[in-house]
Amino acid sequence: MITKIHPILFAFLVYVSGFAATARTAADEYQQALKALAANNYKEALSHFESAVVAEPDNAVYSNEYRKAIIQSKEFDRALDFFEKRVREHPDSANLHLNYGFAYVDKIPVAGAITQVILADRALTQFTKSVELRPDWIGYYTRGQSYLFWPKIFNRAPLGVADLEKAMEIQKKEPHRGYHVRLYVALGDGYWKTDQLEKAIATWRAGLQEFPDNANLKRRLAASGDDLKTLIESGFDPAKRVNTDLSDLWTN
Amino acid sequence: MDQLRKTRACLCLLTLLLSVPTWAADAEQQGIRFEEIAQKAGIRVPHHTRRFRGKNADVLHMFTSGGAAVAVGDYDGDGYEDLFVTDSDTGKPNHLFHNNGDMTFTDVAVEAGVAGGNDPKSVVSDALWFDYDNDGKLDLLVARFGTPILYHNEGSGKFKDVSSLSGLNKFGNTIAVIAFDYDNDGRLDLLFGNYFKPENLLDLKDPHVLPNNLDAATNGGGVTLWRNTGKATGIFEEVTDKAGLGKITGWTLDVGHGDFNNDGFQDIYLACDYGTDHIFLNNGNGTFREVTETATGWDTKKGMNVDVADYDNDGWLDIYVTNITDEYMKECNMLWHNNGNSTFSDVSKETGTCDTGWGWAAKFADFDNDGWQDLFVVNGLRSAGPESYVPLLLPVMTTPGLDITDVNNWPDIGNRTWSGYQKKRLFRNLGSGVFKEMAAAAGVDNTFDGRGIGVVDFDNDGKLDIVQTNADQPLLLYHNVTAAVGNWIELKLIGVKSNRDAIGARIKVEAGGLVQIREIDGGNGYAGQSSRRAHFGLGKASKIDHMEIRWPSGRVDVLKVPINSISYIKEGQGIVPR
Repeated sequence: MITKIHPILFAFLVYVSGFAATARTAADEYQQALKALAANNYKEALSHFESAVVAEPDNAVYSNEYRKAIIQSKEFDRALDFFEKRVREHPDSANLHLNYGFAYVDKIPVAGAITQVILADRALTQFTKSVELRPDWIGYYTRGQSYLFWPKIFNRAPLGVADLEKAMEIQKKEPHRGYHVRLYVALGDGYWKTDQLEKAIATWRAGLQEFPDNANLKRRLAASGDDLKTLIESGFDPAKRVNTDLSDLWTN
Repeated sequence: MDQLRKTRACLCLLTLLLSVPTWAADAEQQGIRFEEIAQKAGIRVPHHTRRFRGKNADVLHMFTSGGAAVAVGDYDGDGYEDLFVTDSDTGKPNHLFHNNGDMTFTDVAVEAGVAGGNDPKSVVSDALWFDYDNDGKLDLLVARFGTPILYHNEGSGKFKDVSSLSGLNKFGNTIAVIAFDYDNDGRLDLLFGNYFKPENLLDLKDPHVLPNNLDAATNGGGVTLWRNTGKATGIFEEVTDKAGLGKITGWTLDVGHGDFNNDGFQDIYLACDYGTDHIFLNNGNGTFREVTETATGWDTKKGMNVDVADYDNDGWLDIYVTNITDEYMKECNMLWHNNGNSTFSDVSKETGTCDTGWGWAAKFADFDNDGWQDLFVVNGLRSAGPESYVPLLLPVMTTPGLDITDVNNWPDIGNRTWSGYQKKRLFRNLGSGVFKEMAAAAGVDNTFDGRGIGVVDFDNDGKLDIVQTNADQPLLLYHNVTAAVGNWIELKLIGVKSNRDAIGARIKVEAGGLVQIREIDGGNGYAGQSSRRAHFGLGKASKIDHMEIRWPSGRVDVLKVPINSISYIKEGQGIVPR
């Protein structure tokens, strides 16, 4: 019987059944990871998350939830090793590079001052690869924001502003999303960091028009001088954990 | 009539209260004031960092720019504290400034025989006064990137080099040294903090001498502990391993001591560059145990200074460590508050003492005699041209696989500035667990590249003065001219069964509602040894309610001393003439 099936159809069925098996495996692994995580069983959870990412390397949800579990379990080097291997296997996955970059960022608050610089630099390398592979909102926003963390002496803030402006161009073409408010804050901060106070204020005001209840924008617009400096710089403290959770992208 | 008299008396009292402001308010209003008088005093001499030769000269010059040091001690016993000041370049003489008693000094280093030490193979890096043979005269140790020099005080202003008899024959790149009696046998021992591993940088065979990790380096010089044997030859014997300190391989920049757990034995704190500091408690049997993990936790900072004092007058010694806090590196200093249970909590942020730039020496001292110890901190690495060296360092830090231990992989600094032109910080202790920065108002906010601090009452007026050493820049002398100061006492202790310098003795003074403690230290603070006279500010208190001294021998003396004067106190004998 089987010999009567057209070879192309046969190939298609094999592909589809294989894909379905992979998807099912990845989804199963992901569900098991969440279950283990709920039971505070990090060992099991990390292992299942990793299996899910291996099965679906470009799945942003799996990588994102994996990193969140890594932060809880403080096994930062494990994530770096894991993503290093995955991007070697899948160099064209923008999401893998993005999450690899975030894995470096996630380790920064627990690292020494010099190691923080090294981690931040390596994160930037991965963010650049991600944005080169897929020049989208999250890619430009992430790299742009990342540049802003660098002290003025390294002169990277103008690069950050350029990326954030590109992200804004993309954002303006998209329907309204909750996470868009982040870009108004970041771009305004970038203008402030590059001594363009008027543009900073205009950006925060534009953001407030679209997001009238946003406290971050309100605080910035209410502050000036040293107060504004303190407010903005407190957001770039390498000792503080940066929120690298991407779930806003698919839930908000 | 009686009523009238009573009314008049009340009015008089009210007038008196209103017309005489309280001492505290007066002190607050007038504040701490210093006048810089190094030129007038005849001590404004420049320091010179060692110049290296060859391809990597620039980098080694930068990495060894920490040797501008000062040691305070009354070497001739005339009642006025003198100064030994180091230089570091080839052939440059050290200075022994004899205090003339009128806030002027005379350099007598050559006549005294202590000017040397900067030979082509050695760099002078620190100095220490201590009476190693308990003969009542301060001897002098000159620490070097090399082997140390020990001078015996012969009296009459002359010193004799006894290095060959000292047993201190081990090469080390020493940057800090303290004297204390770790085994309470009545003789002062020596703890050396060594920066680089023991390779002679002036005759470099292998360029891999720089830190192998900038946050957790393990290839530094560690520490060496030398026990004073009391013998005429082989005065000191090395006991580093025996005492349990042999496993330290960090880049030690400063070492400090104090009885952290109030058990009568001296404990130690090691501040290390490029990685974790260490804290060791004394077991009381000639060994130490490391308690870093439970006492403070491990750190990745750039420890530069150890000073020890009870800043909050709770009866437990606290520890202040400077690190690097600058635009590009936000480490924050550490003020380790002693919790009284062999653990410490860092309260630098809460107290306002976190950010002092690229910190070097820091010393606690009560500059306005209000009963609360203030804090002076010097800072700044290299003040030069308008360009910064920092951006050039980025590839060194971030290039994968680059061997950062190789001096040849570090870019030349040229005329670039690196954390330079930083203002010094003076923190006034407000007595509420908080300090207020007031260096500018006090006149001490210079922007030199500070290294060491000596705190001392040069003119015996009860107000503490400051000497500040600077790398490749002149010495500064800050005369304390604060108008509104409280009452005070200064105590010079003389050990009998204990070591003669009484290092490790603890004094407790109860006055004006405060209970203060001081311990006599043997050189705490980076690149500086301050006076071994214990100074207490008493505020408005006109008498001391209770005073006791716990000597290193274990003896406790309870005695009374007059206020606003300097008292000499001998173990078991009370006040004695100078």
